[in-house]
Amino acid sequence: MSLKRITTLDELHNYLHAAMQLEHATIPPYLTALYSIQPGTNSAAFHVLRVVVVEEMLHLTLAANILNAVGGAPDLAREGFVPLYPAYLPDGETDFEVGLQRFSREAVETFLRIERPARSSEESQRLVRRQRVDRGLLPTFRAEDDSDLHFYSIGEFYQEIGRGLAYLQEEKAKSGETLFSGDPARQITPDYYYSGGGEIIPVSNLETAQEAIRLISEQGEGFGKRIYDYEGELSHYYRFQQLVLGRYYRKGDAPDHPSGGPVDVDWDAVYPVKTNACLADYPQPSELHAAAVEFNARYKDFLGRLTQAFSGRPELLLDAVGDMFRIRETASQLMRNPIPGTSGLNAAPTFEMPLPTET
Amino acid sequence: MHADQAEFQDFLSLSSVVTGFTAFQLQGTGQAESYFSTLIDILGEATVAALLQVFRRVQRETGEDAAALDRLLRAAIFSDEKLGPIARNLIKLWYVGTWYPLPAAWREAFGELEKDTTFVVSPAAYTEGLLWPAIGANPAGAKGPGYGTWSAPPRIPEV
Amino acid sequence: MSNTTLGKPHRSDPADVSSSIYDVVIVGAGVSGAIIANELSQTGFRVLILEAGPGHDLTIPGYEQYLSRFYASASKDNNAPYPRNRNAPMPRSTDVRRLQPGEPDASGYIVQNGPLALDSTYTRVVGGTTMHWEGKALRMLPEDFEMRTRFGRGLDWPISYEQLAPYYRKAEFELGVSADVEDQAYHGIRFDPGYVYPMRGIPASYLDKTVARGLNGAEVTLRGEKFALTVRGTPQARNGVPNPRYDGGKGYVPVGAVSVEQVEQGERCQGNNNCVPICPVQAKYHAGKTLVKALATGRVKLLPQAVASKVVIDPGNGRVRHIEFKAYSDPGSTEHATGIARGRVFVLAANAVENARLMLASDLPGTSNLVGRNLMDHPFLLTWGLMPEITGTLRGTQSTSGIQDLRGGAFRRHQAAFAVSIHNDGWSWATGSPYSVLADIVDRQNQFGAALRRRLVDQVSRQLQLAFMVELLPDQNNRVTVDARYTDPLGNLRPVISYGLSDYTLDGIAYSRRLSRLIFQRLGVEDHTTYDPLDYAYVSYKGEGYTVRGGNHWAGTHIMGTSAKDSVVDGAQRSWDHENLYLVGAGSMPTTGTSNTTLTLSALSFLTAERIRGELDQDRSPATIAAA
Ligand SMILES: Cc1cc2nc3c(=O)[nH]c(=O)nc-3n(C[C@H](O)[C@H](O)[C@H](O)COP(=O)(O)OP(=O)(O)OC[C@H]3O[C@@H](n4cnc5c(N)ncnc54)[C@H](O)[C@@H]3O)c2cc1C
Ligand code: SF4
Repeated sequence: MSLKRITTLDELHNYLHAAMQLEHATIPPYLTALYSIQPGTNSAAFHVLRVVVVEEMLHLTLAANILNAVGGAPDLAREGFVPLYPAYLPDGETDFEVGLQRFSREAVETFLRIERPARSSEESQRLVRRQRVDRGLLPTFRAEDDSDLHFYSIGEFYQEIGRGLAYLQEEKAKSGETLFSGDPARQITPDYYYSGGGEIIPVSNLETAQEAIRLISEQGEGFGKRIYDYEGELSHYYRFQQLVLGRYYRKGDAPDHPSGGPVDVDWDAVYPVKTNACLADYPQPSELHAAAVEFNARYKDFLGRLTQAFSGRPELLLDAVGDMFRIRETASQLMRNPIPGTSGLNAAPTFEMPLPTET
Repeated sequence: MHADQAEFQDFLSLSSVVTGFTAFQLQGTGQAESYFSTLIDILGEATVAALLQVFRRVQRETGEDAAALDRLLRAAIFSDEKLGPIARNLIKLWYVGTWYPLPAAWREAFGELEKDTTFVVSPAAYTEGLLWPAIGANPAGAKGPGYGTWSAPPRIPEV
Repeated sequence: MSNTTLGKPHRSDPADVSSSIYDVVIVGAGVSGAIIANELSQTGFRVLILEAGPGHDLTIPGYEQYLSRFYASASKDNNAPYPRNRNAPMPRSTDVRRLQPGEPDASGYIVQNGPLALDSTYTRVVGGTTMHWEGKALRMLPEDFEMRTRFGRGLDWPISYEQLAPYYRKAEFELGVSADVEDQAYHGIRFDPGYVYPMRGIPASYLDKTVARGLNGAEVTLRGEKFALTVRGTPQARNGVPNPRYDGGKGYVPVGAVSVEQVEQGERCQGNNNCVPICPVQAKYHAGKTLVKALATGRVKLLPQAVASKVVIDPGNGRVRHIEFKAYSDPGSTEHATGIARGRVFVLAANAVENARLMLASDLPGTSNLVGRNLMDHPFLLTWGLMPEITGTLRGTQSTSGIQDLRGGAFRRHQAAFAVSIHNDGWSWATGSPYSVLADIVDRQNQFGAALRRRLVDQVSRQLQLAFMVELLPDQNNRVTVDARYTDPLGNLRPVISYGLSDYTLDGIAYSRRLSRLIFQRLGVEDHTTYDPLDYAYVSYKGEGYTVRGGNHWAGTHIMGTSAKDSVVDGAQRSWDHENLYLVGAGSMPTTGTSNTTLTLSALSFLTAERIRGELDQDRSPATIAAA
């Protein structure tokens, strides 16, 4: 898909769908790292990853709220919503790989890059012309002259949404209408959603929409070069950095200089799961293969349930939480089972969906 | 991976038959190797080897016939004065991660074993016990299934 | 929040502490002490807390140590997560044995003098017993405060429900109670118009709903009075969905896990089914949550591993001069230093048993001679059976609903009232299920493989356990005493308890059993209740036998009243005999009705904090100083 400058409601919907897709796309990599940690070990890493996953879910939900507020219909179950891994995110002039891998130093490096994308210094650099990789997570940008450009990073993508929302609302206001005409019953409210840090924001006007965008794009890297975001919560980037630096941040610390208690990381207390495993890696027929297929089916059901929850049945979010529990159990089982024929590699969920046609 | 891969596989097959969970599910607890070594640690290699040998014979003789397997297991293992209590303990080990002392009669007949006391193999052995998935619940104090999930009917896996 | 003090409570030199004079010295870092420490430090007073137990608990790794000890413990009793500590020992239910008449059992920490062995416990660590409490948070009924006047039984409180109501609201905020007001206004319980609990009611379990379907509306007659039974949600101090209408529409923000480092966890109960003995994510309230707020003021010193050993009185004016304590650095060794804590006001918040023990060990039985007397608890009768259908045992919090209709009524002239809870954790408490069921299926029913799995589901997932919590009135013969023959390794006198049940309570127990039969009959529940005559808690009454478990609601050892003759403390928990001494907690309660004690004792702590604040303020004014 490629996107144009937002001038129509349709185009805004496309962007917001892309935003949901993007926010979701980081969840499988985080989950893979999280579940690969052996129980009872790596408490610090476990808690950091757990919070980040919960907040990525929050971002996804916020994007759905904005989309619903402007009359769109979130659909997480449609084909292509879940990318094939490894996928790529832009980081200025280059892209970097985002894959499914065990908790490791490399994984944390990737997470740091996800959470703190490069920032273009000049307005003119919001879009860059360069070679497109396959499996890029951000849609390209179709310029006036029909050539494909790329967002410099995720930040630029959200900037465009923010601008588009303001622009369309202004246009609507001219004719006495509002852009935010979606059914309020489709909003997810704090009644049904809770997360550790940021709170879900029901979106009903430009103000709340911009607030939601700000939460989505700033929870990752903090606010104004400080380690905390504007809600006073340690940003994801610095949470991950604690694992690398081996120390907790505490209030008042300068970036890169945590002064809190030690963070113990045991990089070896992790199941040796295969990176970017796919169904084809598992012998067939086997329980392992069947379980991996079942995992994907469950994950797909989960996305289906979220879609329903975002379509006027918020109470289903409670069930979705229950789905996550079962998803986790199957994921853990896969990760503790060796892949026959590899020396010492374990299986992992593949997140391939829709399921590739079996041969 | 354990030194004797074949023995370990037999241990998994035996465990699967007595617990009613598949080898994949057993491996999926992450506890299989630790239970295997716990068993050897308590009973000694010879006794464990003898148990597995009987099991292999039972398996050979019954093939795919489930009813026969059931019958022969009872005859050769569960009603064997030495192996029966061990097999029952193995089930409990898998279900709740706890080793319970062998019955007094066993100890009288086959000797006291130094490590044959009540203990939980590890914190994870408790949380990964098979009892919990068997009844569609989470181990108390771990793996919380999420707010409000208790309001819905239970989802208990079919066997 | 200033994060420097919390998490690592300073264990400073006892001599250091002894050289300061604090505004308030509190013994015990449980909920009653924590609330007072927080209330007073927030308004500028300097507070010292002496805590007998260790205090590594306010960090996530520290907390997770408890969790892992619990996982690895073969006995999952309610003190299993907490390490044995010779210097501040605690009672464990696994220590209790059957008593022989006339022979005290001194094998556990508490010396049991009988006639009935009591298996109630408490915890001596920072946070106190709320570390492993279940979190039921029901208000007492208005009639519970007037037992003598209304029913000619027990005692009246010197304060009324109405007087306590504003403090109940504070306690419901502090403990973070989830409940729906519309379910809780029964038997005269009144709420201010517009009041809502901080969080909405915790959803009823599938089991509750199944029981409710069969039972709601059923009528029973007790001594001529008719009662319609309803399954009702239980107010609980664990995090649920915040009610946006709370506090006039300001809402409520749930308090999650306590930690030095930023960790978001525990903002909502996840259904770990383990509130007792330890909530893994801290969705359940524990006093650590209040303590960190108090510590954050910078005006509270928490001295863990310091066991208060003597209250020293000035013989001239009866005021407390100081409290002596024994500070140890290693829970495994009795090596210790003795220190003294000095302050303007002293508060004993060590719980009903330990408060009385400390007073008696200090040779302070009170003018009324009532210190230690009127020991109360809530006797529990458990009944259990199998539901006709699978309802899915061991899911959710341990209990989400109950039957409260017989908590009050005219029958209280003759027999005890009771509250009933429906247990989501099946027969755990009664029979040790599911472990006992597993052992039975494997060892006795001779099942393995798929058949074993099917039987487990059949025999565990249909379990219903009802817990009848029965009223026990104050009785001077039920008491805590001390005896020089029984000391702990630090040389402190151990509590000796005498405990028995009156006919009033036994009649309530017998009726509970009868009612449970009716309920089972109505629901088609297969009754599996049996009481083993060899059980240490077995009692026979009017031809039937019952096993009566302890309710962990120690109360009444320093009851409040209207004068120094009839009570130990006044309506604000101040000692009649020692004007700068407060004894706080359930020990002050003259009756406990059928409410779990903590919400009420927390409310009392708020009331007392207000009174102490008033006194310190006055004391501070130049006029008073001049006068003194
Ligand atoms: C298994 C269980 C379940 C329960 N469930 C509920 C429930 O659902 N609802 C409810 O309302 N109540 C419940 N309770 C009761 C509840 O836990 C107590 O009422 C409450 O914790 C009492 O608070 P407290 O602060 O008065 O005393 P505690 O919490 O016992 O705190 C006393 C503190 O003082 C310290 N201390 C003791 N002696 C000394 C000394 N000599 N020097 C210094 N420090 C000392 C202790 O270490 C402890 O930290 C339950 C209790 C148990 C055991
Ligand atoms: S049910 Fe679990 S999560 Fe909820 S309060 Fe109890 S132990 Fe904590």
